[in-house]
Amino acid sequence: MRKVRIAGIGNVLMGDDGIGPFAIKMLESQYDFQDGLELIDVGTPGLDLPLYLSGADALILIDAAQFDSEPGSVRLFRKSDVLRNPLGLRMDPHSPALQESLALVELMGKMPSDFLLIGVQGNRFDLGESLTTSVRQAVPRVIDAVLSELQRLNVSYCRAANARQPVIWWDPLLNEYRGNLLCA
Amino acid sequence: MTSRITIDPISRIEGHLRIDAEVDSGFVSKAWASCTMWRGIENILIGRDPREAWLFAQRFCGVCTTVHAMASVRAVEDALKLQIPPNAQYIRNLILIHHALHDHIVHFYHLSALDWIDIMQIPKADPVKTSALAEGLSSWTRNSPQEMKSAQDKVKALAASGQLGIFANGYWGHPAMHLPPEVSLLGFAHYLQALEFQRKACQVVAILGGKTPHIQNLTVGGVANAIDLDSLGTLTMDRLVMIRSLIDEILPFVYQVYLPDVCAIAGMYPEWFDIGAGVQNYMAVPDLPDGSGSNFDLPGGVVFSGDLNVVKTFKTAADEEFRQAVTEDSTHAWYKGGALHPWKGETNPEYTDFQDNGKYTWVKAPRYQGRPMQVGPLSNILVGYAQGHALTRKWADLALDRISSAAKRKMTPDKLQSTMGRYAARAIRSAMLADLAVKHCELLTNNILAGDVTTHNPPRFPKGEIEGVGTHEAPRGTLSHWVVVKNAKLSNYQAVVPTTWNASPRDSQGNIGPYEASLMRNPVADPERPLELLRTVHSFDPCMACACHTFDPSGREIARVKVL
Repeated sequence: MRKVRIAGIGNVLMGDDGIGPFAIKMLESQYDFQDGLELIDVGTPGLDLPLYLSGADALILIDAAQFDSEPGSVRLFRKSDVLRNPLGLRMDPHSPALQESLALVELMGKMPSDFLLIGVQGNRFDLGESLTTSVRQAVPRVIDAVLSELQRLNVSYCRAANARQPVIWWDPLLNEYRGNLLCA
Repeated sequence: MTSRITIDPISRIEGHLRIDAEVDSGFVSKAWASCTMWRGIENILIGRDPREAWLFAQRFCGVCTTVHAMASVRAVEDALKLQIPPNAQYIRNLILIHHALHDHIVHFYHLSALDWIDIMQIPKADPVKTSALAEGLSSWTRNSPQEMKSAQDKVKALAASGQLGIFANGYWGHPAMHLPPEVSLLGFAHYLQALEFQRKACQVVAILGGKTPHIQNLTVGGVANAIDLDSLGTLTMDRLVMIRSLIDEILPFVYQVYLPDVCAIAGMYPEWFDIGAGVQNYMAVPDLPDGSGSNFDLPGGVVFSGDLNVVKTFKTAADEEFRQAVTEDSTHAWYKGGALHPWKGETNPEYTDFQDNGKYTWVKAPRYQGRPMQVGPLSNILVGYAQGHALTRKWADLALDRISSAAKRKMTPDKLQSTMGRYAARAIRSAMLADLAVKHCELLTNNILAGDVTTHNPPRFPKGEIEGVGTHEAPRGTLSHWVVVKNAKLSNYQAVVPTTWNASPRDSQGNIGPYEASLMRNPVADPERPLELLRTVHSFDPCMACACHTFDPSGREIARVKVL
């Protein structure tokens, strides 16, 4: 059976950067997927990312993105869109980790044959904030994009019989402390 | 003539490390390290339940998740004076060891090897000679001519495409690059293999921690792993055997590939043992405790002014002197307040623009008895070496011998106080950790076989105010989380992270920090391509905690080098 992985990238403590992990929580709580499908919140790894990018036949990534569009816009990227541009200087292990990690995985011949990055244009990335309204409203479109890709890949899924509200454990915390955290 | 170089990763929302250097007649004469992002993440924790602080702390940074989680639970346990059971110590130690091995391997091969290896030289290498060279270095089984040719073919294919793809922006052909093509090819072949072995190290973390990158098994008072040798879904003998077999796969990579590669490359760049010493005050905290929590396999202490004949030893994970000696000074950082002890620490921003003689960074200046300190694997090795720590000396002496023979020049432990010394120290530390992986796996297994299945001592929070500090000697150096708990709620939380020590700005006395000091007198052959500065900065393995990760598809500039 083909191994399919859906990974959300982002820092849940930093506003719209948390869209990836948020979408993973939604998918987890609302859908049942075929065996062997893996849902994972990978947080904000640096060059550990190759571990989560390799070793699957199909990979769907969900990440906040900057493409100068309206906040909450959703855009899809394939492998060549990500690998088109050369890397810049890297000072620390976080900097362009996604692009570099994909390039490394490609170089090693371990790139999943199907790759999709679902990018969501963020608005605010401030520490201690939750998702902004426009990005929160984009969540159903992100889920649709995931499900369409699964259909294309002939991966079966259905609404969970015991669908429940997702537990976004970091969310109330952020709202509660929001007032104290804004940078002067 | 003086020129000014600014290296500033831009274009993304969050900030990163920015380096400014004045270059006079080909050498750095003045330097500034600046973090361009506000690090006020601790404020999120105030008012929370101390038992769940670690869950948030492990989201401070995506690279260092485990280490923040560990320092957080240790801080609360220190405040409660709560001992944890031996099994919990061993399980935590195994997680920390494998996280560090993973991190050090990634640092050398994926973060910094290409500062020393010129990709463009690789097509000129002879794979047969490369393989022969490798066989002279170690008995690693994957150094065959075929393996080398396959790595070379990947580079040739990139070169033939007319574009180097991801490698297009490297400083290839830079005058400071001078490895023979065969050594470059060998390093690159291992760069490709390293991915498999860092994965194996992560698998150990995942088996014990439940999941990577965010482990789930910690709890204040121990770990949440249930141990039952007869039951599935718990820590069973099968899983212990699985861990041991992963360790047996990782060890040869460390002993036969990573350490020999670092020694060979270091020996071919001997001039880098004379560059980049910087702040020669070193600090490490003891770590990897035994079952009683009172003896440590990694030594801690302080060495001042580079004098390895005098060393102060830390006997506990948070020595009394350490508790009292740490302050954070915000004279040159974008915060209000002067020099405060972390328990009294504040995180109140006061932003100006970048002022050479005023405030210029979001990193505070941590000081130990008022002095700047260098932290990281080098400090770990030097403090241990100065104490005569047997495991440290075993691997440091072996590495220095290998480097000396490659350099055809005697390298003493003093020479480790340099840019290249930081690379060497990380490899030496990895070999020590590899030995300790076996030791702690055996300790855990034997303790369980002896019938002890306890993993947790429940915490009880007193009324009133208590203070604690949790330390961890993390891959990038001494990490400490400082907590104040009042009536079972967090009333203050400060994390003093390794990169804060090293990326520290000037303090109220005008003392510069370790990055800044290590850049002084670095050569700069070509200001437009400041490869030498990157080598020194990368030698510290900088990680500006709490990055966010937004993908930018436009290919707009990711970093800028500006020369004025």
